[in-house]
Amino acid sequence: MANYYAIENKLVLKIVYYGPALSGKTTNLMQLHTLLMPQRKGELMVLETRDDRTLFFDMLPIGLRSEKGLDLRLKLYTVPGQVQHDSTRKAVLSRADGVIFIADSQLSQQDNNAIAFDNLASNLQKVGLDIENLPLVVQFNKRDLPSAVDETILQTRWATTPWAPITLASALKGHGVVKSFQQLLSRLYPAVDSEFSLAANHAIGFQTFVDRLSAVNEASDE
Amino acid sequence: MSNLEDDFKLDALLSQQQQTRLLELLGTLGGASVELADNAEEASNQLEFNLDTLGWLRTELPAIQSEAAARLFELILFYAGKYRLAANLHHDVTEASYIELQQKHAALLASEARYKTLSEQLQQQVEKQVKVIEQTQHQLYESARLRAVGQLAAGVAHEINTPIGFIGSNLRVADDYLDEIEASLSDNVDPALLLDDFRALLGESKSGVKRIASIVADLRTFANIDQADFATCDLNALLMTTCHLLQAEHNHTLPIELRLGELPKLAGYPAKLSQAFYNILDNAAKALNEGGRIQVESRLHDGALEVYIEDNGCGMSEDILLRVFEPFFTTRSVGAGSGLGLSVTRDILVAHQGEVRLYSRLGQGTRVTLRFQTG
Repeated sequence: MANYYAIENKLVLKIVYYGPALSGKTTNLMQLHTLLMPQRKGELMVLETRDDRTLFFDMLPIGLRSEKGLDLRLKLYTVPGQVQHDSTRKAVLSRADGVIFIADSQLSQQDNNAIAFDNLASNLQKVGLDIENLPLVVQFNKRDLPSAVDETILQTRWATTPWAPITLASALKGHGVVKSFQQLLSRLYPAVDSEFSLAANHAIGFQTFVDRLSAVNEASDE
Repeated sequence: MSNLEDDFKLDALLSQQQQTRLLELLGTLGGASVELADNAEEASNQLEFNLDTLGWLRTELPAIQSEAAARLFELILFYAGKYRLAANLHHDVTEASYIELQQKHAALLASEARYKTLSEQLQQQVEKQVKVIEQTQHQLYESARLRAVGQLAAGVAHEINTPIGFIGSNLRVADDYLDEIEASLSDNVDPALLLDDFRALLGESKSGVKRIASIVADLRTFANIDQADFATCDLNALLMTTCHLLQAEHNHTLPIELRLGELPKLAGYPAKLSQAFYNILDNAAKALNEGGRIQVESRLHDGALEVYIEDNGCGMSEDILLRVFEPFFTTRSVGAGSGLGLSVTRDILVAHQGEVRLYSRLGQGTRVTLRFQTG
């Protein structure tokens, strides 16, 4: 549900980080804020409660300006993962252009992952989005923990879904965060391009889109 | 619907007064005037919020201070924006929750209506079922009544047998007498003695025939052979008939005392009323111990016809008393009682705008009052 403002030649896309409580959505966003060097990057807005749990959402705006003058913006949001904030999750999820689902790799959290994914599916349906057609990336975070489920098992489990392959990350260490984001960008581009003719009208090709929005600091180890 | 994604203009983040105040404060801090401008100019710094340019800050300050003023302004905008976004989201969520609540409420109302209809249908079904059960009950009672009539018939047969026996024997003797009379007419025997005895025989036979006739009449009344329909009833006559039949069943051993007062006639179903009396008298007879007695009394009291049937038999305990009118409730062994006697009696009384009252004490006896309103 991207918004295009003709007068300003501005296109705003919405990416939502979804997932169970404490799976590392905010950490992903903080790492992106640190690691990414896109053409334009705004302040990371974090709205949290006293105990560092997301209450409303976090938001990071990034953007690029094409040679032909298109002001392309990506607003990256996180939702609150705790069960009781479902209404807030639904409100943040509405009109999303892409979703990154942050799952917890720990064996003990697999049920919570499934519950949260079902919740994502049902909320997408409630806000009128089709999970089959929505650009969606599944990231298994916390790979650094000893109880993390084996990668082969996870890949096999997700192999038959439209979202394979899944990406792996250790958001706290900054690993895999940008890669997941890039995967989302590459799944997002065709949908945006077909609606707004990015390549034809604005001279933004696939590679430009992905590279310029996910450019990283040279110092980073991604 | 959502305004979560809206990009804010400067006025939406800070009111005009707040902007003026902020500019004044910045001016005071820097020591030179600080103003907002709509377009980029020389010596102006861009004010950005979430990548949107909201305006420019123009100062006459040195570049480094001018820059600091703009960043401070942006910092304040950032926190104002944070609050604004959270407030908008909260508003959206509250509104969505309210709409959802209303939908749930509507759904609840609908389901309540559905359950109401369902319960009404259920009520109707229950009523229908109750009717079926009542009907079955009456059929059962009817068959129990026929069985009782059968038992009665056996009693009556026995009763009739005796007079028939002596009538038969008398007639045989009378036949012999006729032979003797014939002989005496020629043998000069005194005919007076023979004739007296002959008349006595005939007289006894006539009384026997009368007894049979009266038993048959009682039975006809009781079995309702002649009067299926509404008629004028003499309660005393019905009571007597019923007592006779009961006596016939018990070989005339029941100590029944009748004290019947003068009663006006009552419009009703004679067979049913007899049935009601029979059921209560039968209970009384079964409750009696050795040396017990049954008192039957009728009188006109307060404009109502009242029939009392009292026995000094075994009586009933309170918990049994509470249930005696329940259909199929019986204290007798299986097959000995249908459990319908009193419930049918009450139905009959209700059909005659009457009522049944029962007083009983365990070990002392039972008193049943049947009350019929007149007029």
